[in-house]
Amino acid sequence: MGITLTYTEQELVSLLRNRDNKAFAYLYDNYASALYSIVLQIVNDAELANDVLQEVFVNIWRRIEQYDAGKGRLFTWMMNIARNASIDTLRSRGYQNSRKNQSIQGNVDTLQARDVLQPGVDTIGLRKMLEKLRAEQRILIELAYFKGYTHEEIAELEKLPLGTVKTRIRSALIQLRGLLK
Amino acid sequence: MNIQEYISSGIVESYVLGLADEAERTQFEQMCTQHTEVRAARDAFELSLEQHAMAAAVAPPARVREAVLQQLAAGPDGDAGKMAAPVVQLRPVKRGAIPMAMRYVAAASIVLLLGSVGLNVYYFNKYQDFSKRYDQLLAQQTELAKNNEVLQTKLGNYESTVQALNSPYMAQIKMEGSAVPASPAPDGKATILWDTRTKDVYLMVGNLPQPQAGMQYQLWAIVDNQPVDAGMLDMDKGLMMVKMKNIPRAQLFAITLEQQGGSPTPKGKMYVMGKV
Repeated sequence: MGITLTYTEQELVSLLRNRDNKAFAYLYDNYASALYSIVLQIVNDAELANDVLQEVFVNIWRRIEQYDAGKGRLFTWMMNIARNASIDTLRSRGYQNSRKNQSIQGNVDTLQARDVLQPGVDTIGLRKMLEKLRAEQRILIELAYFKGYTHEEIAELEKLPLGTVKTRIRSALIQLRGLLK
Repeated sequence: MNIQEYISSGIVESYVLGLADEAERTQFEQMCTQHTEVRAARDAFELSLEQHAMAAAVAPPARVREAVLQQLAAGPDGDAGKMAAPVVQLRPVKRGAIPMAMRYVAAASIVLLLGSVGLNVYYFNKYQDFSKRYDQLLAQQTELAKNNEVLQTKLGNYESTVQALNSPYMAQIKMEGSAVPASPAPDGKATILWDTRTKDVYLMVGNLPQPQAGMQYQLWAIVDNQPVDAGMLDMDKGLMMVKMKNIPRAQLFAITLEQQGGSPTPKGKMYVMGKV
């Protein structure tokens, strides 16, 4: 029992839905690091990231019934839970307030310096790839993906037409896909 | 719509990374079910994203793992805060539904209680009223009994007066104002009853003016031309026979008006007199 610790996604989901603690331990052992990396890229604070990661796994455990394999892979689902929990944490706690003035209301140069080019965190994951994008695209991905703003909010913040925001984000994403391969 | 153009529009990445809006997501999910190419493009991007994330993984501290697993072991719902603090779940106390009959009984008992309270107030007021009336009656009764006692005494006195008047041993000496020269009360009358055996003297006032304040009538027996005090009069006794002093012998009785309490020898004016 439990000697072969490899499951297909389907098996894993099924066991998780049966509240199998071993399967959950397996899930943690296999995905915690990848998800931790995603959380870190957004909250950019190790202590905070520990709390968020814990919340992420509790959410996965609670919401596993809601996972729909028809709409995507398990990891994609978990990744989005991690991203949402991280952004929620940033928006609460007043943590956001201390940075908001600089990142949102400040000009583009400040944003780049403080939020896009964070030393340490920007060397991992998607953030690392952002470096290869043009600055104008980089900011939009930063705001949309890492800060969780809607296209409308970004259009207002950046004083750009909504259509331009959408087009730039789409083209940035296409570039990112090319970089992932 | 050209499927290849749709796939390469960035919608796949937008959807997978969670940047698509509601309308875009709905449309994309529909396209996935209708076009295997779209779904294949999605799967491919998801897989490359996952592989990239795995490659970029950063190990969290071991204590996070402990906290997570501990939290889940604590309860299937893991309904706790972010740290694995012990959680006390407060559940509402479940009570069975109250049957309709019991509701009616409860409603009826409340009505009865209210009625009972009302009656209590009513009867308490009644009780207070009766209690007051009882006290009044008791006072009346006491007063009546006292009056009765006074009347009984008076009646007893009258009886003995009548008896004395009819007694053959009682000598009657009428004293009159007319017998006194220059009497202030020419029509004054009083009667002496003198027990011939015991020599006790009784006095009945018939008609004498009410003395002014500080003055009192005094009875005298004149023995061998010397006045002897025979007692003081209380005018409020009326026609009743009042026992005076014992006088062994006398020739004459008279009443003068003296200072309150009397005098050793008569000083005031004589009102009435009568010979024995």
